[in-house]
Amino acid sequence: MKVRVGEALLLIGFLGITSTLLLALLWAPSVSLDAFESPAAQRIFYWHVPAAWAAFIAFGALFLGSAGWLFKRSERMWRLHVAGAEAGLATGLITVWSGCVWGAAEWGTPWDWSDVRLNTFGLLTLLAVYLVLGRASQPDGIETRDTFAGFGLYGFVLVPFTYIATRIWAIRHPGPVVATGEEGSINGDMGLVLLVGAVSFTVLIIGHMLTSMLITNSEQRLLQLQRRMDGGGP
Amino acid sequence: MANTMLEVDRITVRRGMDIVLSECNLALDGGQSAVLVGPNGSGKSTLLEACAGLLTLEQGEIRHDNIAVVRPDGARAVSTTLHGLTLQRNGAMGSETIEEHLRTAMSSVGRQTDLQPWLERFKLEHRRHDLIAHLSEGQARKVAVLAGLLPAFVAPSPGLVLLDEPTTGLDAAARAQTLTWMNELTRRGHALLVSSHIEEVVQTCTHTFDMASLQLQASTSPPDSGEPTSSLQPVATEPLTTESGGRFGRRQHLRTQAWLSINGVAALLTLGVLLVLGDIETSLSASQTLALMLAPAAAAGLVGEAMASLGREERCDDWRLAVGLGTAHGTPLIAALGAAFTLLAGIALTGGIDLRYIAAGAGLSAVVAWSMGFLQRSVRRLARPQAVFVGLFTPVLLLPYALLVDWLA
Repeated sequence: MKVRVGEALLLIGFLGITSTLLLALLWAPSVSLDAFESPAAQRIFYWHVPAAWAAFIAFGALFLGSAGWLFKRSERMWRLHVAGAEAGLATGLITVWSGCVWGAAEWGTPWDWSDVRLNTFGLLTLLAVYLVLGRASQPDGIETRDTFAGFGLYGFVLVPFTYIATRIWAIRHPGPVVATGEEGSINGDMGLVLLVGAVSFTVLIIGHMLTSMLITNSEQRLLQLQRRMDGGGP
Repeated sequence: MANTMLEVDRITVRRGMDIVLSECNLALDGGQSAVLVGPNGSGKSTLLEACAGLLTLEQGEIRHDNIAVVRPDGARAVSTTLHGLTLQRNGAMGSETIEEHLRTAMSSVGRQTDLQPWLERFKLEHRRHDLIAHLSEGQARKVAVLAGLLPAFVAPSPGLVLLDEPTTGLDAAARAQTLTWMNELTRRGHALLVSSHIEEVVQTCTHTFDMASLQLQASTSPPDSGEPTSSLQPVATEPLTTESGGRFGRRQHLRTQAWLSINGVAALLTLGVLLVLGDIETSLSASQTLALMLAPAAAAGLVGEAMASLGREERCDDWRLAVGLGTAHGTPLIAALGAAFTLLAGIALTGGIDLRYIAAGAGLSAVVAWSMGFLQRSVRRLARPQAVFVGLFTPVLLLPYALLVDWLA
């Protein structure tokens, strides 16, 4: 049986995130009771942050694909748009779901409507839901692709905004823990688990997108064959 | 020498997965009329709608009187040369009266005339004040044809008129009258681009444009020019202010009561829920009380802009967009609802009136309704706009609501 790169990465990534979960639950050190209301729930962090990181990669792909379709009319870029939306939906939901569980334990509420980062990330995830469900509801065509690619471009504006939201407008969500340019509060073992999680989610999301692009390509070939049988397309 | 009113410069247009027009060229001078001929699906309506600026071009450019109105990068300019448009759909909301719709059409060129003689020739004078929804299909089509021709008759200078199947659905007398008017407009120096299968229309036009070869040819049997051009009487006109989308939208909101039945009911239900909670004010913080006070205003906006869905009727929004009239909206009415319900909620919760909160409620409902209207219209190009889920974005519109509450509290 021929194993494709995408499927292999998907499998490796899945094993990696499972390992991250086990390491987070069984090996990562506990955090101080003084710093957290619910130290046990803090272990969600090892999935929550890497999933958010992977979601940003997926939304970056969505942006590239959207721009590539709108400005270059590239079929490959449209496939990247589709893959980015699907991967963004998967990782966005993991991030939102894990964040809600953690928030309920730590803050006493799963969601805060006045927190900018929560809401902008929520919007990104809803955008992915919208794109995935919307594409399924419409016939493939230039009008469908242009409309959804427009939404994809708009959505990307939220990515840097979401990242900096906690720096300029901190209400409830904690600030960034990576790429802050400062020495953080994460010790060596915690950093290691977080790194394993980030690498695993990155591999998983790349595998997911490669597989998704392959499936979309097959769908497009099938449509083309159907149109040829109808006496229409080339 | 007559101006070139329409230049189609190597345009390629895709619809769905098909390239419907490929590298199509066409130039039309004032005083020329061209009929697009070809079988169903050959791209006649696509070319006409592209010329009206309603479609996105893959390549090429469309110019009206030497001004680029559609470019492939998506840039558009409002055409001041387009003096009339009749789409395959009638482009009118059912809640407009005949007179209102024709005045709206004429307002796109800033002039108006007495409608009586025009309506008499189409046997519509007795229906002048009737809603378009109450007309038969043929009568509604007559109104759409008049809305395409009248602005050109009253315009101060010649321009471009686009007519998609203007005689389809008309009786013999109305068809003959339409052809007479088309002929007269050509002799007055207007350029007409017409899509039709009807032989009489082909014989009325000075040129034919074959959709298979994409070639413009002078008609082999030029139309009877009738009386000399110099004998044509100018149409008596007077100035007419262009009707903005806001004014049009408010009128339709008030006519249909959509602002009350959609936005008002949402606010009322939210207020009702607050009242069911009873005397809770004493157990709430200031920000919680304020959040509840503004909740009806937020709900009024969150249910969306009725004009966005009503504008899809008979492609009314598209028609207004093409002829340069603004998008219909009723934001001020929804803002008024927001203010009124914030006042009521304030009285119910605190027993007092605070003008700052009432202003905040008005602003909140206006911003949220406008955002929802924008989202609803952003999917207008889709084949099935009702089947996509713009409502998914609704929860995020709670962010300005929450921030406003935080700020005010």
